Amino acid sequence: MSDRRTVLVRYDEIGLKGKNRGQFIDRLLNNIKDQMRDVEGLEFKVPHGRIFIYCCEESAGECLRRLQKIPGVASASIGVTREPDFDAMAAVGREWIEPLLQDGKTLKFCVRTNRADKSYPYKSPEIDREVGSRILRELHPKGLEVNIKESDFVLEIEIGQEETVVFNNRVPGLRGLPVGSSGEVLGLISGGIDSPVALYRMLKRGCRAHGIFFDNRPFMGRGGYDKVIKLSKLLNGFQRKSRLYVVPFEDIQVAIRDNCRPAHRVVLYRRMMYRIAQRVAQQNRCLALVTGESVGQVASQTLENLSAVSQVVSMSVFRPLIGMNKQEIINEAKELGTYEFSIEPHPDCCSVFMPPRPATRAKIPDLERDETRFGWSSLMQEAIEKMECIELDALTV
Amino acid sequence: MIYLDNAATTPMDPEVLDVVQESMRKDFANSGTVYSLGLDAKQRIEEAENQIRESLSIPQNFKIIFTSGGSESNNLFIKGYGFPDKRVASSGLDHPSVSQTLEAFRESGNEPVSLLSYQKEGRLDLSALPHLKARKVRLLCLSHVNNELGSVNDPATLLPALAEQSPQTRLFLDGVQAVGKLKPQPRMWQGLAGYSISGHKINGPKGIGLLIVDEKLELKPQIHGGQQQHKLRAGTLPVPLIVGLAHAVKKAVEITDETLKNNQRLFRHLVAGLKNLADQNPDMDIQYNSSLSEDVSRQSPSILNFRFAPVEGEVILHHLEENEIYVGMGSACSAHSKEPSKILTGVGLTPEEARCSLRISFGPQNTIAEVDAFLAAFDDAYRQLFSTFNRKTASR
Repeated sequence: MSDRRTVLVRYDEIGLKGKNRGQFIDRLLNNIKDQMRDVEGLEFKVPHGRIFIYCCEESAGECLRRLQKIPGVASASIGVTREPDFDAMAAVGREWIEPLLQDGKTLKFCVRTNRADKSYPYKSPEIDREVGSRILRELHPKGLEVNIKESDFVLEIEIGQEETVVFNNRVPGLRGLPVGSSGEVLGLISGGIDSPVALYRMLKRGCRAHGIFFDNRPFMGRGGYDKVIKLSKLLNGFQRKSRLYVVPFEDIQVAIRDNCRPAHRVVLYRRMMYRIAQRVAQQNRCLALVTGESVGQVASQTLENLSAVSQVVSMSVFRPLIGMNKQEIINEAKELGTYEFSIEPHPDCCSVFMPPRPATRAKIPDLERDETRFGWSSLMQEAIEKMECIELDALTV
Repeated sequence: MIYLDNAATTPMDPEVLDVVQESMRKDFANSGTVYSLGLDAKQRIEEAENQIRESLSIPQNFKIIFTSGGSESNNLFIKGYGFPDKRVASSGLDHPSVSQTLEAFRESGNEPVSLLSYQKEGRLDLSALPHLKARKVRLLCLSHVNNELGSVNDPATLLPALAEQSPQTRLFLDGVQAVGKLKPQPRMWQGLAGYSISGHKINGPKGIGLLIVDEKLELKPQIHGGQQQHKLRAGTLPVPLIVGLAHAVKKAVEITDETLKNNQRLFRHLVAGLKNLADQNPDMDIQYNSSLSEDVSRQSPSILNFRFAPVEGEVILHHLEENEIYVGMGSACSAHSKEPSKILTGVGLTPEEARCSLRISFGPQNTIAEVDAFLAAFDDAYRQLFSTFNRKTASR
């Protein structure tokens, strides 16, 4: 029995949800089970305010590693379940602390208790004292000291109504809401630095974030497509069951390039992308579009151009990065792990489609006039018919 | 599939593949061990070395060092011999494994001499030689055949001229694109300082190459950690790759005459075909970045680099890819960088002209029918793309 571990999963925002709380917790539990599907011998329990995972010592580390990637988890710890008995709890502390003691050096420790079961006959500070003094009695001669403010080792105890868990480390989770609790969204993903970060922010808010990629082949090579698949797989690791829609976009770009004012090209491309994304979102029960735009970053992201683009869709468009600086986005991409993929040098647009001087303040009537010069509706239909849908869970490589 | 990017790499010759596979099964022992299994492996290497020496007529006063390929050979020679204080010069039209190796000299305060202003059609003009003497250049690094243009720096002309006009300058040739494409010149060895060869450019295995170096020259090793290869390049020797390389060199040299004739036919056919396409299409203007000279001491017929503004080379390349026709865009090593090729801008092309270029490079397996298929697909792609790239029709 000694190798049995109790992994404690804490959540925070879910705790605030009134009557829907049960649904949120079920969703989180299901997401955790799904992410742990190939770890054998796990048992789950949902006591008040926590999720417990019982497992062997070897699996506990893997559980902890995966929990850090599951939206909705506030933090997690590996502990052991014990009787709420001072001697039994102190024995765990001694077992963990003793190997850390070194000759001639002192180690500072303290005990912190969270007493959720108010029927337990001792209050938290009393438990701290009782358990702490039992550990100190044996290990003081070997250099152990009590220090509540600057501890090298914190032994934590949670006394719940159903069981008592002793642990000593909390690893932070992503926080936020469990994926699926807020519905599904469709994010425009380009292979650049920004869009994966935008999708990531939405999936942390409980949205299952599918991607839609506008493919430049055969003007550009397969490199951009491969890169977007890598990015999407990475994002799918946080949520599972997400999809990537790949829309052939060259015919539309060529039509705009050949028929419309050069300065308007980029905004016209974006308007077509938004229209197609809305149609795909509607067909696939997605409730909003997500983009990685931030004000003023490039010519297509001025306030005027952003509204000229939004005007073609009725669906909500979320731009989680709208007020962020480039460096802040880069930092987040690095933390997320998408940055290294995003900077692979596969251009996402052929230079022939870029205008020499893009309009920074395109006027909607002018854009609409341009759009009468090519049959965008049938081109859009054709692109959607040729679209590829990739189930990211099914990708093995 | 039609593969016309043989300057980037080549498919393995099936015979070479057999030889490598068999050796991988048998010759696993470490050639540095003293039991008979190891001694057998050592013998395989010695046989391979002798085979290569014979195929390329390398005299005994040249050492043969096995490396991981052309890039390592260039690094080993240039750094091992020249760094840090020998004055070095290059044509300015070199493979990055030469030009970027020379950066190390610049960083240590020994500015390499660039001879870019003395180039003519991608070759070093002999008028550069007095300059070499005046600048006291000790080592001149050139490509035997330029990897993007196919232009030839002919040792038969260069070596005697150097001996006469700048005798203190030794010549190092990057021969990666020359072996198997041009007739071997047994007489060049006596004047050369070093020469590099790569296995995978001659239908041999990847991960193996050669540095052939004048034994009188003292080289500093760049990889340390063992006594192998005259202490010049540490590491257990890959016997199967070496055996495969020897076979590939032997075969490439044996069929050089045939390959050269075939390449000349393909080159002529391609040039005539492109001319024909341009004649029939008023919107197509083909210009040649490579020389069209039929003199193999000036231009290797294995490579033709040409341009066709305003359509971009990379876009044509991807359209050809849809038909399983593979061609080159400048140098394969830098195809992902957005910067235009330094070699093409070096011979005077504008960045836009360089971007509108493609490189066709032949191997012994290529046929006239394949060139015809390329021409047809190129014509289709060009016609399809022209209006999009043509500013006049697009800018309204």
